Amino acid sequence: MLLADASSGIRLSLSWVDYLMLFLYFATVLAIGIAAKRKVKTSMDFFLSGRSMPAWITGLAFVSANLGATEILGMAANGAEIGMATLHYYIVGAVPAMVFLGLVMMPFYYGSKVRSVPQFMLRRFGKSAHVVNSIAFAVSNVLIAGINLYAMAIIIEAMLGWPQWVAIIVSAGFVLLYITLGGLSGAIYNEVMQFFVIIAGLVPLTIVGLHRVHGWSGLKESLMHTEGVSRLHLSAWQGTGIGDVTNPIGANWLAIVLGLGFVLGFGYWTTNFTEVQRAFSAKNMSAARRTPLIGAFPKLFIPFIVVVPGLIAAATVGNQFADGSLTYNEAIPKLIQMYLPNGVLGVAVTGLMASFMAGMAANVSSFNTVFTYDIWQEYIKPKMPDDYYLSVGRWITAIGVVVGIATAFLAAQFGNIMTYMQTLFSFFNAPLFGVFILGLLWKKMTPAAGLWGYIAGIVAPTIVWIAYLNNESLFGSATAETMYGAIWSFVAVIVVSVVVTLFTKPKPVEELKGLVYGIGTLDMKSDVVAGDAAWYRSPALLGTGALVLCVLLYLPFL
Amino acid sequence: MNENSKESPDLVQLSEAEKKRLIRSTRRTDLRRIIGALFVIYGVLVTIMGIVDPATDAAKTGGLHINLWTGISMLVAGGLFFLWDKLAPVPEEDIVASAESVEIKKAEGEGKLG
Repeated sequence: MLLADASSGIRLSLSWVDYLMLFLYFATVLAIGIAAKRKVKTSMDFFLSGRSMPAWITGLAFVSANLGATEILGMAANGAEIGMATLHYYIVGAVPAMVFLGLVMMPFYYGSKVRSVPQFMLRRFGKSAHVVNSIAFAVSNVLIAGINLYAMAIIIEAMLGWPQWVAIIVSAGFVLLYITLGGLSGAIYNEVMQFFVIIAGLVPLTIVGLHRVHGWSGLKESLMHTEGVSRLHLSAWQGTGIGDVTNPIGANWLAIVLGLGFVLGFGYWTTNFTEVQRAFSAKNMSAARRTPLIGAFPKLFIPFIVVVPGLIAAATVGNQFADGSLTYNEAIPKLIQMYLPNGVLGVAVTGLMASFMAGMAANVSSFNTVFTYDIWQEYIKPKMPDDYYLSVGRWITAIGVVVGIATAFLAAQFGNIMTYMQTLFSFFNAPLFGVFILGLLWKKMTPAAGLWGYIAGIVAPTIVWIAYLNNESLFGSATAETMYGAIWSFVAVIVVSVVVTLFTKPKPVEELKGLVYGIGTLDMKSDVVAGDAAWYRSPALLGTGALVLCVLLYLPFL
Repeated sequence: MNENSKESPDLVQLSEAEKKRLIRSTRRTDLRRIIGALFVIYGVLVTIMGIVDPATDAAKTGGLHINLWTGISMLVAGGLFFLWDKLAPVPEEDIVASAESVEIKKAEGEGKLG
């Protein structure tokens, strides 16, 4: 009975009501773009929402920007494949970094009034490091947008039967429209709306799924009888002892905490401008600091509507994963097909569509900012009036989306190469954290050290990765490889930066005011508004609360 | 690069009538109203689906009237968005401050500040 309708791929049969909901969603997306456009008068409005956003909006956008299609489908896939160990990506791999960003790093970012993360690089380490960082960021973001677009097109084709090119053009087209109209505000407002629609789609799916497998205990029971699944799938930490790794994640606890938690997590959440940009758009220092802290709370609960469905899929259609008739990425679409009647079905499909667009919009809206301010204004056409940069921003958004679409079509031709490129891009973030944290703490660290440390931090994990491609027995799994690669990246940054610093000239201390810990004072209070002092808005309290929740949420899955 | 610009740009002064109009038009398209409206419409559609054809629901979900539950929850959520918007509208000074600082934002956009 459970498996009765679990055949024939993941094609859904949408009724006109479901299509009506999809249509209403697209109309709302555009309406938000148009509403946001009225406030775009300057380039700062376009790229950083005129630094005017309240914390609840930037906080939810902070989470939503990361809730792209590959994230939701990929994490559900991990849930089906490696089980509760996937929690690490949400807890140790995200929340400590978000708390650190809000409590420690944001005062430097927001207080120094930089308009992008690469610009912080420029201030602290000068032009050479800045050029490398800006170009790496701009290129990787456009290409990642394209690769995700392709991943989305495959799923939409399988679910709705739209040809891939229709799916690519429609979703890229809407993203293009609402960002060229409303700029970052268009992206952020939509991200908040998309966040709620994604939740509204995934919650009923999880409830029905759990009902179908007779609750949590029923889920555990049926997982025990599934091929290739063991008790370790229900535990996040068991089997991660050093020298005794049996957990399906294939890494010991030290690699998880240091590699995933410290280097990858901190690299992604504290230095990836796609994320941090949301906090830069906050209306004042207090709101900017609270952005990642507010985002941490929904982040902690997302695994229960993403990873748990993955586990349900493993329990119910595990045989299809095993015989290859279904890929792990299709876990959520498969459950939607099996369990949701028309009506909720429309909400769930709209939610997936929303997540596809949220992820892409986040890439595009951070790409156009870095391209305009860090590349075009800094090196190609400086000293132009503001209107000029506003129009450059609109044009480069269009060009970026077109390049993204072209990348998506290329990805359709050369699928494997694109997967490799995506892995390569993932090497750009981890070293940035190493460079920034050393630069923040150590005033003697020189501009040359920043540049070479950063480059060494990109090269080191690339070497580890190539070694793994040639000899897969080096690491327990591809996931484990990324964790060890990240640790090597961090070590390379620290070693190379220290060595280069010993032989090169540091920046004069007066140029480091507000950029290095303990030099100059950070003005945290000049822009406070009424209400910032309320106890529930205290960054320290929010941060502590998030960390306590981290520990509590691990307890049932030790 | 970090010298505080001496020719710091001024705030634009808005008349009372302009401020009023700006506040009204900003609040009319508050994000919470847009999300609230979307959720109310979805809620109505999903609830109707649950009322019209409860048998299909139960068959697919194994006895759970998920359309009804989801529809009602979305209606409540939509209502809460409207309530939130009503109880805590965007502060007037935030709306006015953003409009008055146009010149400052232009200077910052040109890379002259910070």
